[in-house]
Amino acid sequence: MSKLTVGRRNILKAGAASLFLAGMPVTGFAKSKPPGSISVIILEGGMDGLAAMPPIGDPDLMRMRQSVTPDNYLALNDFFGLHPSLKFYAQLMASGHASAVHATAFPYTKRSHFEGQNLIEGGGLSPFSEKTGWLGRALDLSGVAGRSLSLDMPLILRGYHENDNFYPASIRGSKKPNADLLNMIAMGHQMDAAQLFTKLARKSEDSVQVPRDPASLAKYAGRAMAQTDGPVASVIRVSEFDSHSNQAESGNTNEGRLARQLSVVDDVIAGYRRGLGKAWNDAIILTLTEFGRTVAVNGTRGTDHGYGSVGLLAGGSLSNSGVITDWPGLSKKDQFEKRDLMATIDYRSVCAACIEKSLGLDHDLIAAKVFQQPELPRIFDQLFT
Amino acid sequence: MNKQFRIAQKTGLMFRDDEILPEDMNAWIQSQLQAASPALGLASSYADVAPWPDGLQPDLSRRAAMWRRYRDLEKQAREEKNGQETQAARQANRHENLTAKLDEHKFVQRNVYGADQVKLRFTAFWANHFTIGNTFDTGQMIGHAIDEGILAKFNGSFADLLYGITTHPGMLTYLDNVWSAGERSEQAKGCARKPDCQAGLNDNLGRELLELHTVSVAAGYTEEDINAAANVLAGWGIDFGEELPQMRKRAGGTNHWNVYKKRWAQPGSKKVMGQSIYAGRNGLRQLTDFLASHEATIDHISTKLCQHFVSDSPSTKQIEAVKLVWRESEGDLQLIHTKVLELAINSPDAKFIWPMTWLFQVVRLSGATYFKGWEDIHDYDDKLMNTKKVFEELGQSFWSSRQPNGYSDDKDEWMSAEMFERRVRFADAIYRNGKPRQSANEIMDRIGASQQTRALVASVGPSWRDRFIALMCSPELMGLDYV
Repeated sequence: MSKLTVGRRNILKAGAASLFLAGMPVTGFAKSKPPGSISVIILEGGMDGLAAMPPIGDPDLMRMRQSVTPDNYLALNDFFGLHPSLKFYAQLMASGHASAVHATAFPYTKRSHFEGQNLIEGGGLSPFSEKTGWLGRALDLSGVAGRSLSLDMPLILRGYHENDNFYPASIRGSKKPNADLLNMIAMGHQMDAAQLFTKLARKSEDSVQVPRDPASLAKYAGRAMAQTDGPVASVIRVSEFDSHSNQAESGNTNEGRLARQLSVVDDVIAGYRRGLGKAWNDAIILTLTEFGRTVAVNGTRGTDHGYGSVGLLAGGSLSNSGVITDWPGLSKKDQFEKRDLMATIDYRSVCAACIEKSLGLDHDLIAAKVFQQPELPRIFDQLFT
Repeated sequence: MNKQFRIAQKTGLMFRDDEILPEDMNAWIQSQLQAASPALGLASSYADVAPWPDGLQPDLSRRAAMWRRYRDLEKQAREEKNGQETQAARQANRHENLTAKLDEHKFVQRNVYGADQVKLRFTAFWANHFTIGNTFDTGQMIGHAIDEGILAKFNGSFADLLYGITTHPGMLTYLDNVWSAGERSEQAKGCARKPDCQAGLNDNLGRELLELHTVSVAAGYTEEDINAAANVLAGWGIDFGEELPQMRKRAGGTNHWNVYKKRWAQPGSKKVMGQSIYAGRNGLRQLTDFLASHEATIDHISTKLCQHFVSDSPSTKQIEAVKLVWRESEGDLQLIHTKVLELAINSPDAKFIWPMTWLFQVVRLSGATYFKGWEDIHDYDDKLMNTKKVFEELGQSFWSSRQPNGYSDDKDEWMSAEMFERRVRFADAIYRNGKPRQSANEIMDRIGASQQTRALVASVGPSWRDRFIALMCSPELMGLDYV
């Protein structure tokens, strides 16, 4: 991979949200199929944004993080590099179909995985305040369904009764149950359980064989979203980003635990690309993680729980590539609580812009109803124009 | 459901079809709680189940030796690369030296045939509270931690349980403590002078000890408290593959449990949540004792116990009742467990049944033979799945690589079409392959199934298999109520 040149833009001041709506309905509910699709890749464990997209132009980086910074990074510009595991994503950046937002986070600073994960999925004002998730609420407002590629129904998608999940069973010595039986069982249940058995009855009619690795699931999800009556949103979880030890290999910083997990993310994005086909043009895919990691390396060649990280965005609905940031710096005085990368962009604004682009909802509505934060800054123009 | 089965559903694993129902349920519970915890072995009198052989219950030293042997042979095999022969040798190596598969199978046998079903439910609760995910080499230790670190501790105090599991090599490895070095330890100082050496603190276990295992974030501790807890823990644990002479040299001992490496320890006293902790080996016991009796811990875990056993949304009054016993008995697990069971029995609420627990209940109620004996552990066919796969497929296994917060007691986490499909499919698989001795109707008569359940089962038609599935997936057997 040769050097990529990507324009680096600074974000506008938070209050300067534009009212430009790019031809979408101005208020209220999307009337028909929304303008695009939205997919979220949840990176569970707290992804190290400083290793995924190292700020090589920052004089403090190598001083503090040499043992976890890949030396074979792909240079995006004179300030940011990209982890060599993110090969497909790099190609997308070169073709204007990927962007990143750096030094960003949900406004959560207490470094607990489980509070953090709940907050980034629930999207309320504090951890465990919500019974539904931000994407679920957005889909409910739009009246269109999303699908999770997981055994469970993750919090992020809860809140709209048409949402479903897909994670094909592999059980020896059993056959797919028939729809009549499932419908009768559904009738014996009530409320949400009855709904779930009914969905199962509907599903028992199609037989899809999909391997359960994240990339294959992404491809399947892409295909489903490309269909006229398919879901308009999807969620995939990639785990094991909690790199407390041996984050990079000793002697080869391009390999190791984080490198492996980032390859999975890269494959997931590539899977979506293949599955979506033409629908790629209106698609947006974004990563979501509970926090970034400490600036300094810990005692076991890893990093501990931190604050700011990077968000990776991909999809044909991006028209040109960039790293959007208001870079805080890495020196001790610039760090959050003298240990973490500061977050200078509220990642909820990124999620809101992606909802606005894909579902065609008005920013003010998203801010108030999805994130319960009417003052949430709008950064749509920085991402999509 | 009649009283015995309702209690067994909420607090146990259901009575097997060949079990005689106890008349006095309280006596039945107490006889289990008061019995010295059998750390190993099958508590069963069923003629068709061979007891688990001693030879398949290795202690930690043997597990470590097997791990080293596995690693060495695996390395050899990788270097050889002569096709099928190597594949066969590698498989033999896994079967001979890795214990995870055996341990999980033993856990299942116990849950299917064990007579101490209430205790097994508490084992699952605490094994989940103190989650050890299957990463690195912890697969070799999880079974030991569950038997010796958890089940064997039920006749003592929470403080003993906490200290034991915190110092268990499974926990110390899973949460990255084994090579964590105090910031001013000899190891860190020595390393600072060498170019390729790195040593310092890793706060993973310190953080989870506070957040998940004891006081929870509600206690309002700070990042400094986490750092101090991590410094108390620095020095504890050792790589499971460490050769014995090395271990003697580093820690002066040969037992992998309770290993303390002075060179990695942080000198000086520490302060965690206002409590001064001494320097040295005894500091950790002082810290875990302090945390064990902390009001925030009592509140956190009493709530969790009530959510697990009593009701999906327990009342403050119920939680307070557990807290009171906890305080008055200074964390006596037998008394705490007794109170939780009393509340569970007296509460009219249904309690949503975890998939894993449900599967055991289905097998026990129906008298199906769904899992093979230990003799056939490595030998399965197109019909019967291997034990590990069953639980992976169900979405709940103590031998999977999961997050340290464990499985949720929140019903919503288990409500999805795919989760429900697993219930239907496993009920089907158990019926087809496990040859249940009891039909749906016989089971309903025995447990005193509700009119709604009977109506549901009747509605699916004459197929015995469909009736069996409908019964096992009924709201009553899944522990769902619709208030």
